[in-house]
Amino acid sequence: MEQITPSILTQAVFLVPAGAGLLAWLLGRLRRVLSEVLGLLGAAGALVISCLLLSQTLQGRVLTGWGLELRVDSLSSLLVMLISGVGLPAALFSVRYMRHRRLTDSSGRDITDARLPAFYGLFLLFLATMLWGCVTNNIIMLYVAVEATTIASGLLVAFYWDRRSLEAGYKYLMLLTVGITFALFACVLLYAAASRYLPGVDAMLISELRGVADRIPRSVVIFVVAFFVVGFGTKAGIAPFHPWLPDAHAEAPSPVSALLSGVMIKMAAYALARTVTIFFPTYHVLTAFVVVLGGFTMLLGGVMALAQDDLKRLLAYSSVSQMGYVIMGIGFGSYLGVYGGLFHLLTHAAAKALLFLSVGAVIYATSARSISQLGGLGRRMPVTAVCFLVGAFSISGLPPFAGFMSKLTIFLAGANSGMWAAVGVAVFTSLLTLVVVIRAGQAVFWGEPRSEAAASEAIREAPASLWVAMAALAGVCVLLGVYPQLAYPVLNRAALSIAGVLAGH
Amino acid sequence: MPHNVRLIETLSMMMIITSVAAVESHNLKRAAAAYCLQALLICGLILAFAVGNPALYVWALVALVTKAILTPWFILRYISRTGAEEVRPIVGFGPSVVLVSVILFSFYKLTHTYVHVLAPTPESAAGVFRTNLAVALTVFVLGIYAILSRRDAIKTVIGLCLLENAVHLSLVSLAPNLRETALIGIATEVVVTVYLLLYVISGIREQLGTTDTFELAELHW
Repeated sequence: MEQITPSILTQAVFLVPAGAGLLAWLLGRLRRVLSEVLGLLGAAGALVISCLLLSQTLQGRVLTGWGLELRVDSLSSLLVMLISGVGLPAALFSVRYMRHRRLTDSSGRDITDARLPAFYGLFLLFLATMLWGCVTNNIIMLYVAVEATTIASGLLVAFYWDRRSLEAGYKYLMLLTVGITFALFACVLLYAAASRYLPGVDAMLISELRGVADRIPRSVVIFVVAFFVVGFGTKAGIAPFHPWLPDAHAEAPSPVSALLSGVMIKMAAYALARTVTIFFPTYHVLTAFVVVLGGFTMLLGGVMALAQDDLKRLLAYSSVSQMGYVIMGIGFGSYLGVYGGLFHLLTHAAAKALLFLSVGAVIYATSARSISQLGGLGRRMPVTAVCFLVGAFSISGLPPFAGFMSKLTIFLAGANSGMWAAVGVAVFTSLLTLVVVIRAGQAVFWGEPRSEAAASEAIREAPASLWVAMAALAGVCVLLGVYPQLAYPVLNRAALSIAGVLAGH
Repeated sequence: MPHNVRLIETLSMMMIITSVAAVESHNLKRAAAAYCLQALLICGLILAFAVGNPALYVWALVALVTKAILTPWFILRYISRTGAEEVRPIVGFGPSVVLVSVILFSFYKLTHTYVHVLAPTPESAAGVFRTNLAVALTVFVLGIYAILSRRDAIKTVIGLCLLENAVHLSLVSLAPNLRETALIGIATEVVVTVYLLLYVISGIREQLGTTDTFELAELHW
């Protein structure tokens, strides 16, 4: 039985990083170091509050704020923990990384220090909007929060302000805003349909909408689900709405890529899961549709990753592929499937953030990111090489890393549901991922350098603040692999909160 | 049912005309003016609904500030710096007018006839709500057409604004009791997104010397 408890933590979790972001922007203009310190403090504050929220929900409480506008159950607290758990290492990584590449204006003047306050301000605002999206219980505000993540991160994607990053920034803002407009249409239709059965504001509350989902006309449900899939699916990188993703994730600064690939697309998948699954009990055929969508996404992303020479684009396409597993797991509709999907959400967030930071360390040392230009870095960057391989093994589903356990859970859920074709696609894509990332790892860290940049004697291991952030994420990938029970309490409750809906409870 | 049915239907139908003008005008200033006029029509629509629901006056004010003042101001300010002539679109003027007419009439007819398929409540499939929903969907499709068929980045932004106006029209018709916080959130985000897009486009223009989206071809596959 849920114990509803009003708590200020539900507001604090996103207001603290938002406030710190504002201060980082304003005070950072006085001294650069202030923006860096506030960047770290804001991310750390969010993580501490997330831990408190998680501990409360593990005791069976559902925390609320501003009436029922904010609502944190186990699923929300899992996502909140995930976002702030990746946010802090990414903020730590940013400190040295963002000082390294010098930015100049059109007259050649160095403007790096002048732009760093904006970076940390937007970075924390981005974190805050993602956290807000995971705690809101209002379907319209969910749209607002998801679009706010796009607004906050749009300038981060275009941060380097060169031709490639501007192109990526334009596509990112345009495609995601067009996509999310579909989600707003779906929200309006759902709210209007539900307002016949729910009084006033209740028709906007996700927790209340579940109860009337079976009374909404079938034809309206079809449009609502389709619009949500296009809207939130675009943001989640689901094929065929993914073209913005490789551009944005590759051109953004690496710590931002870690957030985009590690957690932002998960937050959108969460929005999709929160909204679409309310119709699963009445329209069971939707589960098959979601499984097909997941299978298509994972296969397409895997194949596209195979063709990449740019390390960051390779990882970005791999993110598309891995989101397919999450979607497929939830689509199986069983407790085990949802558990596997959410577990993969967790393991992929850690592994992909780790991989993007590792590639960031390679870029830091060599200023190159094409596989064909690199080679032989393992001897001079052993920590980065090990971290990259841990992440690569994890997303490939090799034991004893975390990705193995989450993928195995999804395979078992598919087998239990009798969806053998889907399991076949998932296993095949996993092998494909293994080929893609091991080939990339081998080419970058072993063999002979293939360019002057990679052969430079000046190449050294990344500074401590970079590899500490990577090592923390690598630790999570190993820990959840050898001791997956650690995540069981939160995953169990989070899976039940969706599987309970699927079972019609 | 609202009191000013005829007025609402007239304003609603004029939204289609302004959409066509915004899409087809090759002069960006005129296109922005057509968008501004459409935003004023939305304000008028909200005011017409407000006769039976005074809470909507706040909504009308928010729409006026965000849609009819700030957004066109941002666009026009940008155009005045860069020039008003649109980069030649993929589809020429003549074929585009024919295409838009076909889309407009067929889509409006289709949605007006089968509006019950999409209408979330029986009331929204009748009378003025039926017209509004059909108009909203038609404007939505015209916005998508503008984004897909126009090469000029500013024109794609105007197309995006049309999409947002279409959803706003559906909001007014289907969810008139929306809370102010949600409403302000939606309206503000549109303005901020437009501002950011124009900011990024200005950077593209600095780097490439053009706002032709076909030139944005560095990143593919």
